[in-house]
Amino acid sequence: MQSSATAIDVTDLSKTYREGLVFRKVHNALSHVSLSVKRGEVFGLLGPNGAGKTTLIKVLLGILHPNQGSATVLDLPAGSKSARRKIGYLPENLVFPRHHTGRSALYFYGRLSEMTDSQIQARESELWKIVGLKGREQEPVRRYSKGMRQRLGLAQAMLHDPDLMVFDEPTDGLDPMGRQEIRNVLDQLKERGKTVFLNSHILQEVELVCDRVAIMATGKLRGIGTIDELIESHPHASKSTVTVEAIGTMAQLQEATRDCAVRDFSVVLDGVEDATSVQRFVVDATDQANVDKVIDRLRENSISIYRMQRYRASLEQVFMSIVGAANSTHSNTPNLFK
Amino acid sequence: MKPYYAVLYDSFQESVRSKVLWILLAAWTLILAALFPLSFSRGESYAFTFADIENPRLVLDNLANASAGKGTRAQRAVFAKLDEEFKSILVQRQANKRRIFTGLLTDSFNKLLTNKELYDKEAWPNADRRKDMKPLIENENRTAAELEQLNRGLINLAFPGSIRAATGQATWITYAGIKLGGAIPLSERLLKGVIESAFIPLVMRFGLGIGAMIVAIIITSSMIPDMFQTGSLHLLLSKPLSRNLLFLTKFLGGCIFVAVNIIYLLVGLYLYAGIRLDIWNTGILWCIPIFIFTFMIFYSVSALVGLIWKNPIICVVITAIFAGICVCVGLIHFYFDLFLHVVPQTQRIYAVNDTVLLTTQQGRVQIWDDQSKAWKSAYGDVDGQKVMGLVWLENEKAIYFARPRFNPFGMGGNQNAKLEFARTPELADPSDKTFSSKIWEDSRMDSGPELPSDPIQIFRWKDSLAILSESGVFRFNPAGAAQAEERKAALGGLSWLGNIGATSALPGEAFVQMTDKNWKLPKPLDVAASPSFQYLLTYSNGKVCRWKSDGDKLIQETEIELELPGETVASIGTSDKNCIVCPNGMKPILIDVETMQIRRKLDEMGELTVKQIVADSSGCLVLLSTDGTIWKYEPGTDKATQPSLVGQGNAHAVSFASDGQLWVAHSFKKADLWDLAANTSKRSLRPSSSIAELIFTYGISPFYEVNPKPAAVYDTISYVLENPKNKTLAVNRADLEAATIKTDPWKPIWTNSLFIAALLTLSCWYLSRQDL
Repeated sequence: MQSSATAIDVTDLSKTYREGLVFRKVHNALSHVSLSVKRGEVFGLLGPNGAGKTTLIKVLLGILHPNQGSATVLDLPAGSKSARRKIGYLPENLVFPRHHTGRSALYFYGRLSEMTDSQIQARESELWKIVGLKGREQEPVRRYSKGMRQRLGLAQAMLHDPDLMVFDEPTDGLDPMGRQEIRNVLDQLKERGKTVFLNSHILQEVELVCDRVAIMATGKLRGIGTIDELIESHPHASKSTVTVEAIGTMAQLQEATRDCAVRDFSVVLDGVEDATSVQRFVVDATDQANVDKVIDRLRENSISIYRMQRYRASLEQVFMSIVGAANSTHSNTPNLFK
Repeated sequence: MKPYYAVLYDSFQESVRSKVLWILLAAWTLILAALFPLSFSRGESYAFTFADIENPRLVLDNLANASAGKGTRAQRAVFAKLDEEFKSILVQRQANKRRIFTGLLTDSFNKLLTNKELYDKEAWPNADRRKDMKPLIENENRTAAELEQLNRGLINLAFPGSIRAATGQATWITYAGIKLGGAIPLSERLLKGVIESAFIPLVMRFGLGIGAMIVAIIITSSMIPDMFQTGSLHLLLSKPLSRNLLFLTKFLGGCIFVAVNIIYLLVGLYLYAGIRLDIWNTGILWCIPIFIFTFMIFYSVSALVGLIWKNPIICVVITAIFAGICVCVGLIHFYFDLFLHVVPQTQRIYAVNDTVLLTTQQGRVQIWDDQSKAWKSAYGDVDGQKVMGLVWLENEKAIYFARPRFNPFGMGGNQNAKLEFARTPELADPSDKTFSSKIWEDSRMDSGPELPSDPIQIFRWKDSLAILSESGVFRFNPAGAAQAEERKAALGGLSWLGNIGATSALPGEAFVQMTDKNWKLPKPLDVAASPSFQYLLTYSNGKVCRWKSDGDKLIQETEIELELPGETVASIGTSDKNCIVCPNGMKPILIDVETMQIRRKLDEMGELTVKQIVADSSGCLVLLSTDGTIWKYEPGTDKATQPSLVGQGNAHAVSFASDGQLWVAHSFKKADLWDLAANTSKRSLRPSSSIAELIFTYGISPFYEVNPKPAAVYDTISYVLENPKNKTLAVNRADLEAATIKTDPWKPIWTNSLFIAALLTLSCWYLSRQDL
């Protein structure tokens, strides 16, 4: 059968938790979530704690049973044994049984993924190198640091060369070097056409590696698309201003731009001499002629332009804006990016 | 299945790498190492054991008598050589009625064994004529062992019939070659039987069954909850595994951990028993899967609790509560069973004309009351004793029996039994008091003279009754007994022997010895009279003797050796032509009474233990085995068959009525009169149920059946440990007639298997529905 271009397809998925025997509390962990992940892309799932990210992953892995909706993974029913055969999963807060060494743990999870010992043996050397545990594999896992356990978890997830990797906070506990190594691994996986479903709190990391991102809050999907699409669709994505930093004193600059639409002067660098002082101000860019005029005036007064930057919203700003709006209006906020 | 093997292998690895396993293995090693020097040894000894003194009260009375210058010269000679301390205790006994324990008496006698001055020609004038003692007396340079043998023989001669003959061999428990305590009154074969049948099952039940099981439950309680640690469980569930199979594999993993321990310990015990005690009982190895199974019962509870609460402490607590409930239900069932089915179980059944009587295991005589449809206790509610008899004498219109205290496995012997007689209800006459010593509450009963020492059986012999004891066969002499009573009455109720006479009675007058005074038939003993009283046959320690009546005497005519292991207990029954001897746990042997030759073994009956054999005048012999099966041997067909009758397989007692019909007591309290020729029941006695029986039948039993029964698995363990040679552990003939409850040893396995299956299914159902 020809495989479709979709790696994960989630349609109208809802999951409700019920707690307590007498006074039952109902908590909607997922509410009518629909999304799809294409094959070969690195997909990031963002959201604050309690947004429903882990619940969604658990449904995809068959650990939780949804109350409503459906999900497929690599064209197979989510949670089915055949679907799980094709998934490599790195859970958050991974705990390895204490009696294992790194190597015996890798063999154990490899066998659980229906691999033979010879297949594991053929793969292990490369994996130890990739995750940076070469030479430490014979040590007991109880002596591993959190970062080392995370690397071991990554190794076991990649061991059976699955088509889809589900990583829940893969860089949690890693130092900057380790994070860079993980990003390199993700790049390699992407190059090899693997689909990666990434759940992370670190927005910068997601921004760097993910092709597409979904943002969840209070159990609902609040946004999905490429990072550019998300930013562009933000209402305050691009303000009509240009920030200029120029060399000179505050008085010189204010004098030069006297008849221009400028505001918010501030000192960037207060030097002993005029030539070593840097000031910043904001130019109204609604009319490009005003920007040109400011530049002309500065050059006419022999003032050097140190830097100029047109304003663009960050992913963090978009995230905070969406999550903040979702939290303030609870679950009644309309989906801004649909 | 590869991933599940990986989980299983991982569980094993976890066990191997855990400190707990090695700590436990070290503990088992220490226990086995401590046990290893424990053994027993066999050697030459003439020392007294407490079981050798068959009538300690009579011996003490005789010694007290000797202290007053009375009694035989031999008794006075023994008393003279006793240590002063014991003599003073003996005086205190006389004055204060202080009780002297048998152990003190044997200790004192054992001190005498090394006394070089004990032998006195005048005290034992006939000793040097005895074949076994002559060389010992003539030898001036006796070894220590020879001196012991001589002195033991002299003491035995001083108290005839009260002390068991020495075998010259004794068994000691030793630790690293050092003897612990005195000699054990059991032969090596019997001691091994006791160890196999009682000691090892006891160790299994309390050591492994309770101790090790508690340890196992505590240690494995964390295995299932550990599986549910968020970080490890989700990774496991992301693999292509079935949740239920993963759970079951983890469950199996816990069992493997326990299996490693049990295998180590039981193989060690097996080797210890084999190497040190020469007991190579493969049943110990069979206990390995049974103990693992027992653990699985508790672990299935612990696993379900672990799934629900994910907390090892709650697992242990709830499993302990479960075990407690099972024990309570089991105990309630056990005690109801004991008091409804074991204690009142029929031991013997008799028919006197239309009156049906039975004796029970607790020592009661009961008469069937047709009006109330119940067995009514007659002649006193005497408990804890064994009924010997009953014998109905048509001439006397009375039934005779005795109720000696029953001591299992010959511990202490039978003591101070009096012959009792009674009228059946229709013949009862309260004014009839031939023997005036005691009137029973129901005014139908009286007691007579004391039986000869150590009575074994009371049986009918011609128009009277006879008593078999280790001293010989005695005929009851009613006239002589009456004379003795009259003499006692003339002395104002006080015996001329004072305190001593009250217990020794006058056997010479009440009972006339029919056999030779030098009767030497060692235990185990049994006797059977042919229906026409032409012959009397005795079985004694592997030898069958035929006796013939010659006036008041019994003359031994011929004998046959059966080539059985020493001390084999057997039942014997005879018609006028055929005799059947049933050695305990072996095939019955058919003997031609005329030629006293073995005709054949009754192979068709297989190896079994027969507790009763009755014969009718037609030559038909009916045998009842301890498993409740009735066999019939008819000389015409020369074949033993199992007749089809109600109660077959559940029978407790059989007896022939005077018309040749067979009474069968079965199913605890029921009885049927069978016409064997027509194969029909002529009369059925069905007692109505008491309230306790109704509660048991309709309340406790059904609840017990559906309730898991981990403790019942120990019945299976006892069964697999049972050596076929020790099917019924018996030292004396009476041991074969102990109460038996027919149980299926494998029933606990399948009922508990259902429980385990139900709990695991419930666990799987819960797990499949649970969001993790």
